[in-house]
Amino acid sequence: MKRIQTLKALEVVLESFLSRAVALKEERLQVLEGINRLDDIARVVHRGDDVTDEIGGWFAQHNRWVSDQSLRPADHGRISDILREIKRELRVSADSSPAVNKIAREIDRWGEIQRQTAMPTPSDRIGSEPSQPADRPAGQKIVLKRGSEASQTGEVNSITRFDSTMTALTDLFRDFAGNKQHLMSVLDEALESAVRQTNKEALLLSALIIYYLRQNGYKTEPFVKRLKEAERLQKGNG
Amino acid sequence: MLNPSEKAYCLALQALKQRRYAEAVAYFERAAGYFENNREFSLLRETTRLLVALKRELASFEHDEETLIIEETFSDGQETNLS
Repeated sequence: MKRIQTLKALEVVLESFLSRAVALKEERLQVLEGINRLDDIARVVHRGDDVTDEIGGWFAQHNRWVSDQSLRPADHGRISDILREIKRELRVSADSSPAVNKIAREIDRWGEIQRQTAMPTPSDRIGSEPSQPADRPAGQKIVLKRGSEASQTGEVNSITRFDSTMTALTDLFRDFAGNKQHLMSVLDEALESAVRQTNKEALLLSALIIYYLRQNGYKTEPFVKRLKEAERLQKGNG
Repeated sequence: MLNPSEKAYCLALQALKQRRYAEAVAYFERAAGYFENNREFSLLRETTRLLVALKRELASFEHDEETLIIEETFSDGQETNLS
């Protein structure tokens, strides 16, 4: 039974770690999702399907990216490449629908602004205002559509609670890691803290490190014994 | 166009965000060749694999427990009267 409890505790630690790791990459993930979605649209355009709504939705959601300095130059380049690809496939002509023409204009606008921001002139760099996306004819409006948004599911209380525990575990790990040379030294200190200070977070951290080491082929039996001893002591005190 | 590995990494992160861990592992595997030397990729991939293995282990324990409960409702080959 103890083994199950330890494994369950580790499961919570790992889930929390991954959740926090993804949360840290949230901004980057949104960029990747946006590029990926545009890439999917480009592939559909290749097949000859009508995707004006999808592209309109993409522009509506990501229009701010056109002048967003937080995007990596490679991202801007990649988006421009995909948009160029889409425009080529749209085969814009005098007979094209207003929607297609609108998409083509948006793609042109993106390319133009991207070129301006990617290659600033010397006057841009010396105290002048950043370039504005003002290449659209005055008075012309662009109406873009997007799909409905799905609501986010709320977190249950135990997740929130464990989220705070994970923060504490991360801080604890960093404290213990200091300038140590090996993870085993960190584990040694975590177990010491779990025994001497009956620190519950140190106990959880020890379990996580032991499992990690075990999965990577290390012998962990002596540490498991110490972990069980620490667990027994803490239960005695609790 | 994005290459298949980049798309797979992106889908893996989306799957992680939605806690679909087994699916994330499958996407990580698809992206592995391209991101072989990316430490962050390796950390996320290995942690997710570990978590999936752990969940499998826990599921086997839970299965054992269920079996035990079923056996306890029988006595000398006869179903116990639970009423």
